[in-house]
Amino acid sequence: MHHLAFFVMLGAVLVMAGLLLDVVREGLPHLTWQFLTSAPKERGEGGGIGPEIVNTIVMVGGAMIVTAPLGLLVGMSQVEWRPPHAVVSVFDQVRATWLSIPSVVLGFLVYRVAIAWWHWPLSVVTGVLALCVMNWPMMVSVAVTALRNVPATYREASWALGATRSQTVRRVVLPAALGELINGWGWAMARLAGESAALIMTAGLNVSTHWSAWGPGETLAVYIWYVRTEGYGARGSGVAAATALTLMLLIALILWVSGRLSDWRQHPGR
Amino acid sequence: MRDQQREKVIQSVTWGLGGIFVLLGFGLMAMVLVGAWPTLAEPHALARLLSPTWDPMRDQWGLLPFLLGTAVVTCLALAIVVPLALATGISISRMLPWSLRPQAVRLLAALTAIPSVVFGWWGLETVVPAVRILGGQAGFSLLAAAIVLALMLWPTLGFLFAEALMKVPRSYVEASAALGASDDQTLVRILIPSAWPQLMNAFLVAVARGLGETVAVQMVIGGQVAMPAGLLSPGATLTTQLLTDATLFPPGTRGHAALDAMALALLAAMGLLVRLSARWQGQP
Repeated sequence: MHHLAFFVMLGAVLVMAGLLLDVVREGLPHLTWQFLTSAPKERGEGGGIGPEIVNTIVMVGGAMIVTAPLGLLVGMSQVEWRPPHAVVSVFDQVRATWLSIPSVVLGFLVYRVAIAWWHWPLSVVTGVLALCVMNWPMMVSVAVTALRNVPATYREASWALGATRSQTVRRVVLPAALGELINGWGWAMARLAGESAALIMTAGLNVSTHWSAWGPGETLAVYIWYVRTEGYGARGSGVAAATALTLMLLIALILWVSGRLSDWRQHPGR
Repeated sequence: MRDQQREKVIQSVTWGLGGIFVLLGFGLMAMVLVGAWPTLAEPHALARLLSPTWDPMRDQWGLLPFLLGTAVVTCLALAIVVPLALATGISISRMLPWSLRPQAVRLLAALTAIPSVVFGWWGLETVVPAVRILGGQAGFSLLAAAIVLALMLWPTLGFLFAEALMKVPRSYVEASAALGASDDQTLVRILIPSAWPQLMNAFLVAVARGLGETVAVQMVIGGQVAMPAGLLSPGATLTTQLLTDATLFPPGTRGHAALDAMALALLAAMGLLVRLSARWQGQP
C-alpha cells in the first residue's frame, strides 16, 4: 500500500511538473527585455507587460501598507489587550467566516459599493480597496497566530520588571513575533499578486498610456485571464505563458525575500 | 498616573479598531443578505430560486444549473484530489528519506502559491483539448473544470495531509511496530485515526477553496447557463456566473438580486464549513 501511494504521488508530481514545463517552454521565447518594459498591443507583433508589472507591484504594495498595520493592531487588540472570552470567540468566528468568503463575492460587493454607489471608476484605487477587503482578515490571522506563539513568560517577565502593557508589546512581544509576521506577510503578498477574480470587476481589463491612480489597473494575473479568454488570436497563448512566468517569478521572489528576512529575524547570525 | 491614562488610550484605540473589524465583517454578510432580499421575499421564493431555468430576457432566475455545477465540479475535483493528496501525505511522511521530508513539504507549500489563473491557462492548453478528443464534444466541460480544480487543490491538500500525518507522535508508530504490526496496519489503525481531526480540517479547507475558486474554473467550464446534460457538457458554477454577470446587471435590478442570492448560497456553504471545522478542532 505504501508503494502504491508512492507511485500515485509520482503521477501527480509528473502532471504538476508538466504544467510548469509548459509555462516555461511556451513563455520563455517571448520573455525579452522589450516584453517586460513596453505596453501591451492587441494587434500585430511586439507589445509587452510593463504597465501590468507596475500595477501589480503598486496594488499589492498599497493593499499591504494599508492592511498590515490595521491587521496587526486588530490582532493585538485580541491577544495583548484580551477582551472577555465571549468577545474573543465572536471575533474568531467573524474572522474565520470573512476569510472564507470567496474573492469573487468580495469583488462583487466592492464593485457595488465603490463603483455603483460612489461612482469610482474601474481603477487602481478601486482595485486596492478590493485587495484590502480581501487581505484585512488575512493580516489579522497572521498577527493573531504570530502573537499567540510568543511565550506568555516573555510578557510576565516584562511586567514583573515594571513595564506597562504597551511597553511590553513594543519592546518584547513585537520583536519576538516579527520573524513570523514577516513570513505571513510574504505569503499574503503572494496570494494578492495571484488574485484575479476580484480585480476583473474592480480594476478593469486595460491599462492607459499615462499611469494614474484613478486610471485602469490591470494586473499580471488579470492580463493572463484577459489574453486567454477575451482578446488576442493565436499569439495569445505564448503571451499569456510569458506573463504567467513573470508573475510566478515575481511571487517566488516575494516568498524568497520574506523567507530569508524571517529566518534572519528568528535565528540571527546564522 | 499619566502612564495609566496612556495605557487606557492605547487599549481603547485597539479595541475600537477590533470593533470596526467585527462590524465590517458583519456588514459584508448583511450586504449580501439585504441584496438578495428581493429574491427571498417574493411568493414561492424557494421554488423560483431552485428552478432550472436562468433566462434574464423572460425574467426567469433559477439558480439550479449553477448550484448543480458548483456541487458536481467540487465533488468530482475532491474525488480526484483526495486519493492523490493522501498518497502524497503518506509518501512524504512515511516513505521519503528523513533528510528529504522538510524539502518536500516546503516544495509543496511553494506550489500552493501558483496563481489559479495559471491553472486556468494550463487547462485551456492541455485539459480542454484532451477532453475534446476523449468526449468528442467542445471540451469545455464540467469534467475539464474538475480536473483543473483537482490539480490546483493538490499542493494545498497534500501539504496539509503531510503535516497532519507528521504531527502524530513517533512513539505511537514505534509502539505499534513493537507489537508486530506491519507498516500498512500501523498506517490504517494508528496513524490515520490519530491524525483524523487534522485530516478532516485539511479536507474542509480544500472544500472551501474548491467552492470559492473562480477564474481557473471559469476559463475551462464553457459558461453555459442551461442545465448540464452530463459531465462532458459545458456548464457554469455560482462563482463563474457571478464573475461573468456582475457588471451586466446594475444594482437595483432583479438580476443583481439574483447574483446576491448566489453569493448568499456561497456564504451559507462557507459558514457551514467554518462551523464544521471549529467542531473538529474541539471548539464550541
